[in-house]
This record gives sequence, C-alpha cells and structure tokens, in this order.
Amino acid sequence: MKIRIDHIAKIEGHASFTADIAKGDMKSARIKIEEGARLFEGIMQNRKDEEIPELGSRICGVCPVVHSLTGFKSIESAYNISVPEPAKTLRKLMMMGQLINSHSLHLFFFSLSDFFGFKSDLELINEYPKKTNDAVKIRDVGNRIVEIIGGRTVHPLTPAIGGMRKKPEKQKLEKLLKDCKNTLPKVIKLSEFFNQLKYPEFTRKTMHASLTSQDEYAIYEGNIKIDNKTFKPEEFITHVKEFQSYDKVAKRTKFNEETYLTGALSRINNNKEKLNKEAKKLLSKSNIETPCHNPFYNILAQAIELIHCFEESIKLLEKAIKEEENIRREPMGRTGKGIGAIEAPRGTLFYECSIEDGITKKVNIITPTAQNMANLEGDLEDFEEMHNFDKLSKKERQDKIKMLIRAYDPCVTCSVH
Amino acid sequence: MSKKNKKPVIAIQSLTCCEGCQVSIFDLGERFLEFLTKVDIGDFRLIESLPDVEEYDIAIIEGTAITKEQKKRLKETRKKSKFLIAIGACACLGGVQELKNYRNKKEIIRGVYPNIRGIDNPDIKSVKEMVKVDLEIPGCPINKEEFFRIINETLDKNQVPKIPQKPVCEECPRKNNNCLLLLGKPCLGPISLAGCGAPCPSNEFFCDGCRGPRENINLDAMKRALKIKCRMEDKEIEMLLERFGKRNEMYKKIKRK
Repeated sequence: MKIRIDHIAKIEGHASFTADIAKGDMKSARIKIEEGARLFEGIMQNRKDEEIPELGSRICGVCPVVHSLTGFKSIESAYNISVPEPAKTLRKLMMMGQLINSHSLHLFFFSLSDFFGFKSDLELINEYPKKTNDAVKIRDVGNRIVEIIGGRTVHPLTPAIGGMRKKPEKQKLEKLLKDCKNTLPKVIKLSEFFNQLKYPEFTRKTMHASLTSQDEYAIYEGNIKIDNKTFKPEEFITHVKEFQSYDKVAKRTKFNEETYLTGALSRINNNKEKLNKEAKKLLSKSNIETPCHNPFYNILAQAIELIHCFEESIKLLEKAIKEEENIRREPMGRTGKGIGAIEAPRGTLFYECSIEDGITKKVNIITPTAQNMANLEGDLEDFEEMHNFDKLSKKERQDKIKMLIRAYDPCVTCSVH
Repeated sequence: MSKKNKKPVIAIQSLTCCEGCQVSIFDLGERFLEFLTKVDIGDFRLIESLPDVEEYDIAIIEGTAITKEQKKRLKETRKKSKFLIAIGACACLGGVQELKNYRNKKEIIRGVYPNIRGIDNPDIKSVKEMVKVDLEIPGCPINKEEFFRIINETLDKNQVPKIPQKPVCEECPRKNNNCLLLLGKPCLGPISLAGCGAPCPSNEFFCDGCRGPRENINLDAMKRALKIKCRMEDKEIEMLLERFGKRNEMYKKIKRK
C-alpha cells in the first residue's frame, strides 16, 4: 500500500508526503518539497554586506525578523563588534514579537483543527468564536511589538549593522507594555486550553538542540546545547553536515551523522529552568516530562513559550523604557568571517558569512526546518509504532501523518532558500 | 458579484516566495476573519484543505512560478478566474530571486547545491510575463491597507481599480520625514510607485523601490542624483536598481520625449 498526501495544507510553504507501506511498515517516508529554488546564498554574493539580512528576511514572511537579526549578528561577528545594550533590548523584544506572532498562527490556525478533525479553519472559527478572537488579539500584540520596534511587521526596517537605526518613542513603548500586561491573562487561558487537548502517544528518542544561556531562556543569544553537551555556535556547526536528499531543493542536516530536533520542544527540554513564572506553572501542570520525546508535544511547548514571551516582553519593555538612546556602534573595519545564531520560532537559525571590504564573498544559511526535516522523516518511518496505528483506516493514518507534520511546524519556504 | 445571491469566490494562491504577502493579509486580523464570512474561499491553503472549485471571481497570486508544476498551476488558475490580481514584489516584478537573472545563474546554482540535476533554474519572470494580469498590487511586502481597500472595491464595483501613478516622494513628506536625497543619502523615492505610505524613510531606511517604478520616470535624473548627491558609483546604482527584479521594468517606464 502506498500513502500519498498531495499539497499539505496549513503549513508555511508547499510540500507533499509519500510512503510505501509494506506490511504496515512506513518505509521510505518522505516529505517532498514543492518550492522553487531561489538561491539566496548565491544572490547575496558580491553584493553589499547589509544586503545579507535585507535580502535574507525575504526568505520567509512568517519569520522575517529572525532572518534579519541572524544576518546582522553574523556580520557583527565578522566585524567583531557588539551592539550597545539598549539596541540588544530592542532586538530581543522584536524576537518576542516574532515568536508570539508565529506561535499563535501555528497553534491556533494551523494545528488546532487537527485535534477536532476540522477540514477548514472556518469550521474552527464557527465552533470557537471567542477563542478565535483571543488568538487574533494575542497575535496582534506580537505584530505590534515587531511593527513599533522594527518599523513594519513583515520585513523589518530598523535593525542595522552595529545596532538599530531608530528607537520608538517612549509613549509607544508604554502603550505596548500596557497591552502586554492586559493580554497576559488571555494568553494563559488560551495556552491552558492547549494543555487540555489529547496528544497522540508516540515517542522516538532523538537529540534536542537549542541555544542555552546562564542568564535567561535563550532566544537571542547563547551557546548550543545538544545531548547535554554545550558548544559554541562555530564549533557546533563543524559537527553539522548538510546533505541533499532525493528532492534536491531542500537540504537536510545531521549532527555527527544523527538526526536531531530543534524548536520549542527542544528549548523546553534544554532550558526549562529559565522559563518565566507563569510559563513554568503551566509546564509543571502539563504532561510534559523532560526530556520529552513525543514530537506532538511541540505544540504544547509552543503554547508554554507563548506565555513566556509575554512575560519576557513585559520585562524587556520596562527595561527599554528606562534605557538611554545609545543604540548603534559603527564597525572599525569591514572584513572578516562570522556566524550568527538565534532561536527562530521553529528552532535555531544559523547564518555564516565571509566579507571582504564590505562586499559579501560567501554566505551559508542553515534553517531550523532543514535541521528538523531528517528527524521528521525518521519519526514518520517509526510511526507504525504509535499506539493502535495498525488499527487505523487509511484516512485516519493520513490524518495522523498530517498532524505530525504540522506539529513540527515546518517552514517549507525557509527550507528552500 | 457574479451571480445573484451567491457569494463571490476568492482564491489566494502562493507560488515560490516568502509568503509574506499572504501573512500581511492574515495580519488584517479581525477584519480579515470578517471578510471571510462575506466570500466563499475557493483556495486558501494557509487555512484549509479543500478540493478545487471550478471558477474564481478573484484569484490573488503571490510569488513567482519557478517549477514546472507552478507554471502549470498558474495557467490553470488564469483560465478559472474572472480577475487575476498579482500581489507583492515577486509576482509583480520577479522579486529578489530575479537577481540571478542579472548574473551567471548557472554559476550561482552551482555555488548553492553540489548536485544541480533535476533542480529547475529558469530565468525568473513576473506573473504578467506568463499570464494576463488584471491588476498588480506591488510591495515587499504589500501594504495590507491598500490591498484590503482594493479587494473590497473590486468586489463592490465588479471591476479592478487603478493605482494612482504617483511617486513615494508624494507620501513621504506627509510623514514629516526629511528628504534623504537632500541629505546625500540614497533613495529611490522619486521613481518608485506610491501607495505604501513610505514606511522605509519613516524608519530611517531608504526607499529601495520594492513597489517598482511608476509610469513616466526620468531614470537619467535619478541616476545623476544618486551619483552626484550620494556619491554612488555606477555599479552600486545598478545594484540598487536591480533589487526586487525591477531593473527590466525601469526601462519600459521611462518618459519618452
């Protein structure tokens, strides 16, 4: 028997799925990417340094903020400059906005229907009008954080080499602070709703990779933690091998020849002690026991992070309101090699660059979805071990497969860049 | 709009791109959800998986067709649609991926993939170079307010409106911005099509022309300003004019004397 799912809906980008099922065995489970190659790493070459993030943000309209900031971090690492603290606060805030808008889109509009068997979000909206309204309002706060600090929600404008171009007026930050505080109870309620859902029982042991930091729940900066070992990003990347799979356009990666998982579940597994108070509370109430190896819980992990991000935004906004205007540092020279890593909604994003006299010579971008794809295919191959999978009809199996693919929150446009 | 008592059928389709225009539509939030109750969705993969319907009143297309399947799909959609509206820099101009057209695209693909067999690498074309387009709403990303106004107007009047051919320079001073060119900083505001509300200069970023050129531009004067006022070299100017794949569009829109 063959299972084939064309054009998987409600993911970012275009992909389909095929597997040959012999005797209930999901051999050769494959995600086929259906995007054209845009060759970003190639078109950035021999152009100005700042075009790495400016073009890079166009890789993905769902997570443009993280592409922009990771690009700038790689350039700043190449030029050996650190951005002033007040600029870092603003960038961290933009990342919170990014995670809020991406997570709330994925949680509510991409994944939730799977739990109820709705074919369309329109059914979901009709069934849960109040929750839809809350989800839209929550997402809107995330968008406004990005818009006010970044200048625009999609493809931000204010980040620059060495910091930020502009700091928003104090009144706007104060208004945002008020909005975040007022919305937090809604966020907690919506995330608790995700804790009450029934998650399919399926586990497959894998390694979890994410940034980690002594100071905070690492999103904007830190070292890489994987399999309880810690690496600097530049060391980690030497263990990661990118390879082209059968569909060619989207690369996959392995760490020391093994697949690994990155994203919300990995972050919670690696850094749960650093979560903010209310987020921690929901984690302790939930069924997630770390290390959690059930990829479906990536959905709940995002819901927990949604609370964390609101709590963190409140802290960061209070800090930004007090901080001075010093937000940019000019580089001394414009030649060097660097690496930037930030936790995107879907996992760690890497930009490596090599620049000579302000002109880009080489760029390598490793996206979270490229890293997760091999792990997802590994999960799908083991999928028949899921509780009662053999008793499901073909249609039910397809639905479960789609649900797992969506639980990973793949960003197909990111994976083909 | 087409038949009595029947809701208009809308399709929102995405070809190869970042999908940021679709995200911008979604960013309309409550207004978009309300809009969804007034129309029938023929195709909008971001929120649902439904079988194809036979006719669309309006098809909204973002992105560029790169793979053979995408080219086929675009042509099918055109046949099914009363109005086809291209949105965003990719669909209207080619987008950033068109930059490879201006270089050696074979060399570029070899730098990205060790094995290039089986990967489509055509010259990037905007949607209007492949099928007939009724209206372009440009921008990287689109201005969601302009988009929403235009879609509602199209539904109300059963015809697509025209975007006024004004430069970004007309909107920029209304945001109390200082003129970047007068400060000696590069800006493509004078030749770029307005409608965005000048978010870039308002955030101390130059206009990089993501909406493409307006009609009847004076490209020579623009180049002179960049050269003399901003001390840019010819090569730098060309690179700026390439962004979003608009270079080939420029020459079509120069004012003939």
